[in-house]
Amino acid sequence: MSLNENFFKYPEEIKPEFIETEDIVFRDGSRISAADIWHFMTEEAPVRYPYAYTNNRYYGRRLSGDVRLPSSIKHNYLMLTMNDRTSRARENGSPIIFVQGGQSVDPYYAAGGIALRPASTGAWARGKEEGLNLREEEMRSLDVREKARKAISFEICQTAGYEHIQEGNLPVDMVAPYLCLRCSDVGYGVEAHRHGKRKIGLFLVDFPLDHQKEKEWAAGYLARNLHRLTREIGKMSGKEVTENDLKEEIKLHNKGRKLALDTADVWWSASAPPTNGADRRAIFQMGGMELHGDPNASLTVLKEANKDIKERVKHSTKGEGVTDNARRLFVGGSCVFPNDFRTEEAGGIIVGNDNHWSDISTIVEETGDPYEKLARAILSYPYEQPIEGRAEWTIDQLKKSRSDGFLFLYNWGCNTQSAIARMLCDIIHEETGIPTLIIEHEMRGEQTEQLQNRVNAFIEMLN
Amino acid sequence: MTLETLEKINNAVKERPQELADARRKGRKVVGWFNYNIPEEIIHALGLIPVRLGTGGNDRLVEIGARYISTKNCVFTRELVGLFAENQDPYIKNSDIVAADATCLQTYRAAEVIKHYFKINIVILGVPRNFSLPEGQEYFEKELEFFTKKLEAVAGKKLDTNKLAGSIKLYNDIRKSIKELYKYQAISKSTIKWREVFDVVHAGFYLDREKYLSLLHELLGELREQHGEPVIGNLNGDARILVSGSIIPPGDTKLINIIEQVGGRIVSDELWSGLNPSMNIEIREASIKGIADGYINRVPHAALPYLDLETDGRLKNLKRIINDHKAQGVIFHTLRFCDPFTFKASETKDVLKKEGIPLLEIHTEYAGSDLEAIRTRAEAFVEMIKNKEIQEVEQ
Ligand code: SF4
Ligand code: SF4
Repeated sequence: MSLNENFFKYPEEIKPEFIETEDIVFRDGSRISAADIWHFMTEEAPVRYPYAYTNNRYYGRRLSGDVRLPSSIKHNYLMLTMNDRTSRARENGSPIIFVQGGQSVDPYYAAGGIALRPASTGAWARGKEEGLNLREEEMRSLDVREKARKAISFEICQTAGYEHIQEGNLPVDMVAPYLCLRCSDVGYGVEAHRHGKRKIGLFLVDFPLDHQKEKEWAAGYLARNLHRLTREIGKMSGKEVTENDLKEEIKLHNKGRKLALDTADVWWSASAPPTNGADRRAIFQMGGMELHGDPNASLTVLKEANKDIKERVKHSTKGEGVTDNARRLFVGGSCVFPNDFRTEEAGGIIVGNDNHWSDISTIVEETGDPYEKLARAILSYPYEQPIEGRAEWTIDQLKKSRSDGFLFLYNWGCNTQSAIARMLCDIIHEETGIPTLIIEHEMRGEQTEQLQNRVNAFIEMLN
Repeated sequence: MTLETLEKINNAVKERPQELADARRKGRKVVGWFNYNIPEEIIHALGLIPVRLGTGGNDRLVEIGARYISTKNCVFTRELVGLFAENQDPYIKNSDIVAADATCLQTYRAAEVIKHYFKINIVILGVPRNFSLPEGQEYFEKELEFFTKKLEAVAGKKLDTNKLAGSIKLYNDIRKSIKELYKYQAISKSTIKWREVFDVVHAGFYLDREKYLSLLHELLGELREQHGEPVIGNLNGDARILVSGSIIPPGDTKLINIIEQVGGRIVSDELWSGLNPSMNIEIREASIKGIADGYINRVPHAALPYLDLETDGRLKNLKRIINDHKAQGVIFHTLRFCDPFTFKASETKDVLKKEGIPLLEIHTEYAGSDLEAIRTRAEAFVEMIKNKEIQEVEQ
């Protein structure tokens, strides 16, 4: 592997093998060959986005060093082309809708929109300015985020994309997340736009709480919310949305969800982790089909990843950077994540996370009224159940992933995840004996080092 | 001039825990509730005794509560959990069942925590975020039906329409009387202060509701005798302050004391532990639907997002109370980690600025470390209002 000290470079010797791999097929039917992806990732992107190639262990978003995993390169290609693709799609008439992470995006696409969660809008915004090194990129994003804090509230846990929409230059057409999905701040964040500088479409998909999956009327209510959502997006995309559109979209997204579940089973069953943590996370998350702003593209990469992982497991190939007998961690909570690379250096590996998994692991029934079926699925997301229900599901995931420890992370100012942290961890520990640790993180970055130190100490304790 | 009824109310509150214990011995059941949207009418109509739970201002309880919930929850929520953990509060000790609604999600989560750690029987009422849409209102009605069924099981009887009609009338009268009391405290040279009215409202969290209404009538009778009909006219050189924002529950006197000490006169509040629950609620029929519609269409709590600034009922209500009580400035109280109100502080300030009403945000919690800083800011604010008034009078 040819990594020099400060700048990541894909080694030329893998090129012949890589360019033989599959194309990425996009939603509009267009495709890109592996050879063109190679060209972009080795020639174009390093010039346009130098920060992305920073090979610094402290940089949690650095490119995975597992260069022999084609899906990893393709995932990064999709992330680095987020601006090119999203800006083009919008110019071609697809409305861009801002959503919450960890939710299904089937209805947004069924109505002809593109759903982007906070991290995806972040990737889109990063792509708008070219030539920045990591320091410059970080300053840019801190600056815009600070403006959002001032505009919303200094006590906000995270600004959830507000900065890009109100203070930045992203032409988002509508802010329309599912609410209460994991937190109350998302709702207040949507509301904050009503006095923002820029007038923008606002919409609430209400996600009613409290034993919601057992209540007929909760499903009916959410289904009506979803109907309104597709109608509103349809008005922008110029599409009369039919039930069949949603049905077809659900089928497509179920493919992603099922494939991610299958991939996870294989990954978890392996004697040694077949990828590093960063690649695992991206691959599992592709099943939600919202990672790249193009569900079809995510699906083609996920299919390829599934095959590659099965191959690796068959040959007991270990992921790049993973130590022998790495301690397996499962991460709970929301909106903050440890640095995978440094966790691996410390002798651990993150094998799963509940956020961005609870929705993916919920398959939507494909027969019957699609709105109602989707509503029922959404209301049964384990992450949003009463704490005892969430704990039960988490325990199941811990067992399946053969985790040695459970880390629960939340941001400073996160009122909802923080409120449940203690109880969730207590139940998990009582029922499984698995050690748990709660870490609170200061979003502004000063505490990142402290967070990682605590993760590393936890790994040591597990040893 | 003193008001004898205030003394009576004070004594009644002192006797209430014992009364509740006696009532329970005779087989009556007590429903303690918290959060912001529990319709007491239903509890009352079922023959159950409602008490509103939650206190403030006690850092020790906050610390105890934080062991079970987190330090990133507002102090009111933490103290609530602390109260259950300690189990000394007479109203908590006397609650047979606890009810909570899902308006503020922090208290909703607190309900789960309380249920788990302290084995308390809790019944939850779901609250829609899309409360102004027909589907949201239908959802709330269904939730209220479900909630009522659970309470019927506790009461061992079905909800009776006639009884419900009686309870609705009782609560309408209570709300009307409270609004009337607020008028009296806002007149010049009033014999009752806002702070006393605020305490009277809190007495209503605990007292037998029929008895409470008769005490309210008695108090209003006294006031009528002393002042005639309340006319809020002459501003009288006071710095007339309205307090809005996060809940100020019984026991939390920190900010109120400071405002009074620096010479501000509180003439009203827009608080969910004060006037707000009495505002803008109209129950048109004695049925679950009638109650659901009445509650969901009243002033929305800040925890329920609303997307159109111009038609926001919360802001309309705030402006109306300012106007009705001739307030000259707003002190907007935000508890740390109370996002429902903290997120809205600067927006509310901008909105009121257009009306010529200054707003001072005081962001605090129960600990005393920021007392002096708050005092300085409140003092400057009160001075500014007084100076403004002098200038206006001179002009
Ligand atoms: S950090 Fe917590 S409160 Fe903030 S957006 Fe995430 S889940 Fe919500
Ligand atoms: S509204 Fe604010 S003060 Fe009231 S319980 Fe919720 S967070 Fe606490």
